Amino acid sequence: MNNRLRVLRAERQWSQQDLADRLEVSRQSVNAIETGKYDPSLPLAFKIADVFQLAIEEIFLRDVGEQAAE
Amino acid sequence: MTDAVQKKPKPGLWAGLFAANLGIIAALFITGALEAPTPYILFALNFLLLIPMIKAGKQAQEESGAMTRAMRDYNRRFLVASALYAATMLGAGGLTNVIPQESPAMWLLAIAPMLPAFGMIWAITRYLREETDEYQRYKAVRASMVGLGFVLVLGTGWGFLETFGLVPHIWAWWVFPAWAMGLALGMVLPEHAGDAS
Repeated sequence: MNNRLRVLRAERQWSQQDLADRLEVSRQSVNAIETGKYDPSLPLAFKIADVFQLAIEEIFLRDVGEQAAE
Repeated sequence: MTDAVQKKPKPGLWAGLFAANLGIIAALFITGALEAPTPYILFALNFLLLIPMIKAGKQAQEESGAMTRAMRDYNRRFLVASALYAATMLGAGGLTNVIPQESPAMWLLAIAPMLPAFGMIWAITRYLREETDEYQRYKAVRASMVGLGFVLVLGTGWGFLETFGLVPHIWAWWVFPAWAMGLALGMVLPEHAGDAS
């Protein structure tokens, strides 16, 4: 799944560690989510949304293929 | 980022050494070069290699930003259990010659190493319960599945080889170190397989 975490972090000048601390997860986990290696669960996705004060769909984006199928 | 990952300490090296020793001890025992309880004692001593392996693993986790509080607790518990396992095996191996064969104390001796083995399983179960970082938990579950698959494939394979008389019989307690090896392997395997969706 695509996401805008890197951009959103950059806007706030947060490092991966800064975001990890806010989410109470490891830096590796932030990296895995950010690079699309791991899709977070709904509770974690909501937590990420809360941290950025955005809606989930403003952070996580549907894959292009899935969008086309709609 | 990738540079830091590549320069990390080598828990895999210790794991490899542990496996190689295990193979050598088993080969020497199977060929009759070593007689019980010597392989038993060597096997227990080999377990001491798990200590630098866990330490290197811990350092690698710290450096790659994968360390969590639950993981620190797990490492400590697993280390204690491994040391106890080695100690009880060593003790039991040494005492087998002293105690008469039919003695009920033999039961105690045989059961003693089982307790720290349960301790290791308990440490993992507790880790999975205490870990609040879902990605790290996912990685640990995946690693234990790798360990399980490793044991099943190896055990089934050896079983058939034994059935057809191609290899000699070996003691069944090899399953635990084999599983631990698979677990370590699963932990070291990086996140390539992470594309779940």
